[in-house]
Amino acid sequence: MTAATLPGTSFELRVSQAKSDCDRLKRAVAQVIVGQEEVVEEVLWGLVAGGHVLLEGNPGLGKTLLVKTLSACLDLAFSRIQFTPDLMPSDVTGTNVLLVGQESERGGRFELHRGPIFGQVVLADEINRATPKTQSALLEAMQEHSVTIAGTRHALEEPFFVLATENPIEMEGTYPLPEAQLDRFLLKVLVPAPSEDVLTEILSRTTGKAGVTPGAVLQKEQVLELRALCREVEVSGAVLRYAARLVNASNPDAAEATPLVKRAVRFGAGVRGAQSLVLAGKAVALMQGRGQVSFADVTRTAKPVLRHRILRSFEGEADGISVDAVIDELTASVPARPDAVERIVQGQ
Amino acid sequence: MAGAAESSDFKERFGRFAGRVRRRLWLRYVLSGACAGAGAGVPLALVLWWLREPEYRLHAFALATLAGALAGAVLAARRRLDDGAVALFLDARLKTAEAIVTAVELGDTGNGWSRRVAAEALSDDRENATRPRLFQRRHALLPLCAALAGWVASLPLRELPPVAAKPSGAEQVKLENLAGLEQIEALERLHGLTPEQERRMKHLAEQARELREALRRGLEKREALSRIAKLRDAIAAEKLTLGDQENRAGLDAAVAELEKRALTAKAAKELSEGDLTAFDEEMQRLAMLAEQKDREAAREALKDAARRAREKGARSLADALEREQRALEKAQSKAEALRELARRLEGAMDESGREAARDFAQSPNPEAQRKLAEAMERALKRLTEEERKKLAENLRKNLEGGGPGGASPMTREQLEDMAKRLEQKGADKLLEEQLRELAKRDPSEDAARERGLGEADRGGAEAQRGLGVIPTPGGQGQGRPGGLSQERQGAPGGPRGGDKSGGEGPGDHAGETKRLDAEELRSKANVRMLPGAPMHAASQGRAPARAGESANQLGTGVLGDVGPGEVSAVEGTEVPEEYREQVGRYFEP
Repeated sequence: MTAATLPGTSFELRVSQAKSDCDRLKRAVAQVIVGQEEVVEEVLWGLVAGGHVLLEGNPGLGKTLLVKTLSACLDLAFSRIQFTPDLMPSDVTGTNVLLVGQESERGGRFELHRGPIFGQVVLADEINRATPKTQSALLEAMQEHSVTIAGTRHALEEPFFVLATENPIEMEGTYPLPEAQLDRFLLKVLVPAPSEDVLTEILSRTTGKAGVTPGAVLQKEQVLELRALCREVEVSGAVLRYAARLVNASNPDAAEATPLVKRAVRFGAGVRGAQSLVLAGKAVALMQGRGQVSFADVTRTAKPVLRHRILRSFEGEADGISVDAVIDELTASVPARPDAVERIVQGQ
Repeated sequence: MAGAAESSDFKERFGRFAGRVRRRLWLRYVLSGACAGAGAGVPLALVLWWLREPEYRLHAFALATLAGALAGAVLAARRRLDDGAVALFLDARLKTAEAIVTAVELGDTGNGWSRRVAAEALSDDRENATRPRLFQRRHALLPLCAALAGWVASLPLRELPPVAAKPSGAEQVKLENLAGLEQIEALERLHGLTPEQERRMKHLAEQARELREALRRGLEKREALSRIAKLRDAIAAEKLTLGDQENRAGLDAAVAELEKRALTAKAAKELSEGDLTAFDEEMQRLAMLAEQKDREAAREALKDAARRAREKGARSLADALEREQRALEKAQSKAEALRELARRLEGAMDESGREAARDFAQSPNPEAQRKLAEAMERALKRLTEEERKKLAENLRKNLEGGGPGGASPMTREQLEDMAKRLEQKGADKLLEEQLRELAKRDPSEDAARERGLGEADRGGAEAQRGLGVIPTPGGQGQGRPGGLSQERQGAPGGPRGGDKSGGEGPGDHAGETKRLDAEELRSKANVRMLPGAPMHAASQGRAPARAGESANQLGTGVLGDVGPGEVSAVEGTEVPEEYREQVGRYFEP
């Protein structure tokens, strides 16, 4: 039984419970993953908001370990798909296999062999190495939460959470995800290289005895409750308008666009980007034990939400202007409050 | 139910906080407006100081400040924050992560989380944290401007820069017709004592005409006044100087001779004052006396006076008296002829004519003479041709028989001429002319000339008045117009009145004199009425006033205070009675 099903359970109790669950989950993950608190936080945003997360980082930074640990803590079915160039869509989704079995059966029968996509926590490793056809099979499942095999639609079990990884080093022989499909990921989380202290701790943990594998912290129902509760978090029109202003300002053709955006951006974020900002903001608020979204929540989620949705122009790429720099300028230049209110707040 | 209570509680709290925030913001706008108004009020006060406005500098500043405050209030009303904006402000101040604005916008919808959090945050103990800043740096302008305005209000009015005065009279005047010049131009019609004098008088007339023409074109005022003054001086120089050193002894002797007879006493007085015109008029009057002996006595007196003057070496006086004598004789003959005719026409005259004849006989004067002549004219018109001829015959017979008793040759000549005209057919016009000629006064040439010169001098004075200047009494001629010697006058000081006109006194006329501490001011003047322009009676008083103000105000200084027994401060002075009023008016504030 979840808090939502308890009779007379108030929203406050549920929010409090949700925060507690998330904190517990983070602590469990931290037993295995050293450092990377922000990465873990952002991945949990994706989980709570009901979206999917794209992890990008150099090899060996613990992306796969993070996903495995997370799935272990969530007591959810985990599956991993290692994308290679020869991976077929049916390798992802599964296929019907002809079984020639008992002498009593004539000609055999087809049996669905489900692919790895039928997990609940799916790790799509190096998604950019598979062909676009194979990528689309996964992306379709991410969007629809179902797969179609031989004309039969098979729903995927909720919660369905995809964590895809990308290796930014080896670009030869890869198939970068097109922008339209990148847009399906709620967040793009950059996994940074560990600091010296973190690396030292990693070495300590991983070169000694086998570490402890944490047990399940949250059940499936609790995860579902988190996702449902996330949708119930209140958001004001002012926050929604702020999210809209941010997304609009990322468009170089908009009047609100800054000179940097006009120079370095070819395409800005769209509607899905604004939706993702709000959902991620709700997840942030919920994980902090609040029932309403604030401007700071939206600002905090701006980078992971928008960085894979803003396409740089040639000039931006040539000048080495990173998307994160563009997003920094957006959050700095786009006011959260109207000017009149801001002046009064500042005491002017 | 609980939700409704929560909602109500939140709305009440939010309303309270929002009201405080809005009031404070309104006050800030009003203060800012007042600062702007004060900022504009200081230059306004400065402008008023520059314009030398004594009283309203502070008022102007206050009004400007008030206007600014009102404008601020209006602006505050227009920029009133709505509930959402106020909620955002409260969220920022209370750091409630937009719970208040979420609660305000969602209202009674939603799950109530934000409403509860917001209500909890809007507790009274957190009111101070939600106050918008009231005073800003620019508000310091208000006391600063107020201090500046106070200083400006206390500034003394600035002094007017000294204006370089234009020389008096430098302005141009342009007049089509300056009254008075025509009298100077009339000098050319006068007979001069000598051809030289006639030439000079013609020249003066010409100068007057040139001056008129110059004024028509435009002339500097002082130039015009200078030329008029010179004309007047020249006119005065042409007057007979009977009282000068050469003629003084003769004048005294001639006057003494005339004074011997009561009949000519008045004539003696006129002659002693040098007024030849009045002397001539008196002699003309004596010429018309009814009694022959009176007429003779007057003629003899004049003859003796001329002789005495010549004996004393006063040649010009003697000549003048002799000319007066001839005029007297001529006037006598006219009067005799007129009288004789009146006697002849007595039957033909109407009652008014007879009355005019009686008046002429009793008090012969020019008016009676004129009326008599008119009556005779009417009588003559009524005569038939036959009656005229008869009258003419009677006149001729009378003349052949020796004429009217005591008639002078001139009278006889007049009567012969009358008889001749009476005989002519249709001689009405001629008779009229002759009668008018008989009635006309013929002043002596000297008197006529003196009168003309006097008229010219008065014309000059009038011209000076026309240019806005008080004319001096009489011109500054070489000769002094008449007047007895000091011994004859017997008055201290002598007739000096006309000599000082036009000159400046010995006082210092630069700047202003110091105030004199005195209880009263009294005046004393010895004045003598001189022929010429009358004394002006109007004057403006000047009184102390505040610096920078117009000085042409009625003052109430010491001149306004008079002693109990005095009227206009001149009661107890030696000012002659006839001048007290004028002198007193001079000292009126």
